[in-house]
Amino acid sequence: MTLYSRLSKPLLAATVLLASFASVAQAASPAEVRLDYAYYSPTSLVLRHFGWLEKALPGTKVDWVLSQGSNRSLEYLNGGSIDFASTAGLAAVLSRANGSPIKTVYVASRPEWTALAVRRDSPIKTVADLKGKKIAATKGTDPFLFTLRTLQQAGLSKDDVELVHLQHADGRTALERGDVDAWAGLDPLLAASQLQAGSQLLYRNIEFNSYGVISVTEKFAAEHADTVVQVIQAYEQARSWAREHPDDLAALLAKESGLPLDVAKLQLSRTDFSDSQPGPKQIQALKAAAPILTAEGLVRKGVDVNEVVDRLIEPRFGAQVIGKQ
Amino acid sequence: MNEALLSIHVRRKAFGDTLVLRDVELQLQPSEVVSLLGPSGCGKSTLLRIAAGLDRDYSGELNSAGESVAFVFQEPRLMPWLDVARNIGFHDDARYDKAWVGQLIDEVGLSGFAQALPKALSGGMAQRVAIARGLYSRPRVLLLDEPFSAVDAFTRMKLQDLLLDLARRHDIALLLVTHDVDEALYLSDRVLVMGHRASGIGSAIDVGLAQPRDRRDSVLAELRIQALTQLKSAHVV
Amino acid sequence: MSASENTLPKAAPAARPVSPAWRRGAKGWLLPCLIVAVLEVVVRAGWIPAYQMPAPSDVAVTLVELAQGALGKHVLASVGRVLAGFVIGASLALVFAAWVGLSREAEAYLEPTFAGLRAIPSLAWVPLLLLWLGIDETSKVVLIAIGAFFPVYVNGVAAIRNIDRKLVEVGQMYGFNARRLTLRILLPAAMPGLFTGLRSGLSMAWMFLVAAELIAATKGLGYLLSDGRETSRPDIVLAAILALAVLGKLSDGVLAAVERRCVSWRDAFTGEAAGGSS
Repeated sequence: MTLYSRLSKPLLAATVLLASFASVAQAASPAEVRLDYAYYSPTSLVLRHFGWLEKALPGTKVDWVLSQGSNRSLEYLNGGSIDFASTAGLAAVLSRANGSPIKTVYVASRPEWTALAVRRDSPIKTVADLKGKKIAATKGTDPFLFTLRTLQQAGLSKDDVELVHLQHADGRTALERGDVDAWAGLDPLLAASQLQAGSQLLYRNIEFNSYGVISVTEKFAAEHADTVVQVIQAYEQARSWAREHPDDLAALLAKESGLPLDVAKLQLSRTDFSDSQPGPKQIQALKAAAPILTAEGLVRKGVDVNEVVDRLIEPRFGAQVIGKQ
Repeated sequence: MNEALLSIHVRRKAFGDTLVLRDVELQLQPSEVVSLLGPSGCGKSTLLRIAAGLDRDYSGELNSAGESVAFVFQEPRLMPWLDVARNIGFHDDARYDKAWVGQLIDEVGLSGFAQALPKALSGGMAQRVAIARGLYSRPRVLLLDEPFSAVDAFTRMKLQDLLLDLARRHDIALLLVTHDVDEALYLSDRVLVMGHRASGIGSAIDVGLAQPRDRRDSVLAELRIQALTQLKSAHVV
Repeated sequence: MSASENTLPKAAPAARPVSPAWRRGAKGWLLPCLIVAVLEVVVRAGWIPAYQMPAPSDVAVTLVELAQGALGKHVLASVGRVLAGFVIGASLALVFAAWVGLSREAEAYLEPTFAGLRAIPSLAWVPLLLLWLGIDETSKVVLIAIGAFFPVYVNGVAAIRNIDRKLVEVGQMYGFNARRLTLRILLPAAMPGLFTGLRSGLSMAWMFLVAAELIAATKGLGYLLSDGRETSRPDIVLAAILALAVLGKLSDGVLAAVERRCVSWRDAFTGEAAGGSS
């Protein structure tokens, strides 16, 4: 056997191995970028629809995963299934506070996307009436945290009510069927319930909504800083399109979510795309909200949530892109 | 008007299309020991089961004159979850006659084993329990279906003597099915030789010896030859 | 019938020297302790990130915190559901097993339906039960009862079918009627198989409990499990799993003890040489 033929097999194996390592190596652009899209994040739908990211990263495979809520989105991020997660700001704080090494790099929108909803003919008139009642809320998401803050404001704790953990869509069904007394809803399902089933908003408060943000893991930010910037750039493209074409945006949202146009319009009417750079405003808002996490025992004892917020918000990627177009 | 304890006449008995018994008659007198001797498949076990009332699908008459009849199977068939005492008194559930059971245990030679479970007994011991169970209901007739075929030769001899002793003591008539020529001759007053299927009872051998017998008795040896001759002529051996 | 016959017990192979029970039990602990120790080292050294696999010591701390807090409430809720579901499911299964086992007619009518229902996986029942019975306790207990039903039923039928016909004949010889036959012979003879089914049904009940509590619960160990999942607390997830494992083992132990008492008469292979009679 010649030297070449003797070496060819191990050589081939080594090459295959090296090639597979290359995708994990310290390359500036990864072989694959995975993002999530969600109906509560309209610009993600825009970006996915127009394919601007695929154009911006020609050598990279772009994958899109549907997230049913912040809880699922963060689970995928922590499990390494996606690189960019669309969640509520406070949900990201909770995840970071419990040890997930993530960074929030972009503000996708400022929505009023959650409120406490009751059935059309419900006897419940005030938040205090909720004592001892069943409330459907998806754990680990903004509606859940909204509920806790609302209860706290009314002098109740989560033990004074029965919080039923159902994913957003199931929560809506439970409310409309009468299995629960109230539902911490999330757009677009909340809007749909209002318009289609006549559900009323028992309590709404924009201050208790915590922004739609996009987060990455620290590792990804360190290894693929350029990619992060490029993704933010693409999102900025989507954002300006959204602001310039509100009717088309509503049509797109309706089509993607499978809900009627008036539902999409209602959701967008309470969504604000004007500010996308994570900065002091968000930090302040999140720090004001964070105490609820400690108060309700959602984070481990001894965690300083203010410090968590400071470490979560990472403005430097967005600073390179936003406001410079 | 006979005083037979058991009188049976099977005109016809078939399993499906196979005829097993045809025109078989048998009577059992008080204190008598009768053996049914024959090869496998000759219908002797079937005849015994009919006599016991376990098989009612035949045409013929069974007359047991109201006497109680007990059955001892080829295997001990003890209830594994009950101890020896409860197995013997199985007929009466929890209200079994403890004194009577105790006596029977002593008579079959198992003193001290009243609380033992069947899994702790040897084959011979288990069969003793089965015999005691048969005796519990104080029958006048005991039917036994190859009761000692599952134990070794020496245990078999001991159990044969035990059986005779019990039969004599409690005045019980025995109807025994066996394929062992020596056993039949040693135990019985009459040996009924059965040939192949549906050929019925071919011949009877009267064993005129008094009990207790000696296995070495030359009369038994002669009768053995006679029995073998009959079996040979029936094309069994 | 000489004395020598009576003193001959069943032949038993020579007993091998058996290590004391405590030493055997200790051997069983070696592997888990090793795993825990290795995990502790690996996580503390940073080879596995703590947010994906918390160190065992962290899980222990969480367990203690939970024990001082709401763990009792969750444990009680779960145990209550399992108990209710298991009792209902197993009782129904025993009734049906007796019916199908004893009657060929009943078997012909019922067995195909049960075989079909048995093939439905646990999670597939959930949406249906939620739709029909809502998100309350009823749907959860029914789901658990369904889970417990089938192992008990299948093993029960098999146990009855496997009863030695020879024993049944003894009862027939005595002229037992159907009721006496069932109570005195069929039931005791079917005990070993029935217990196998009951233990299997209990473990199924625990499994279905977790499925029931992962969806729309407000308390319970499965609820705790999903709580940890949704709030990025893998230590709570592990604590809940540990609690479930312990409770499952304890409940099985109770059933096993009852089984030992009821079927100690069984003449079965125990895996090791045992000397003499019981």
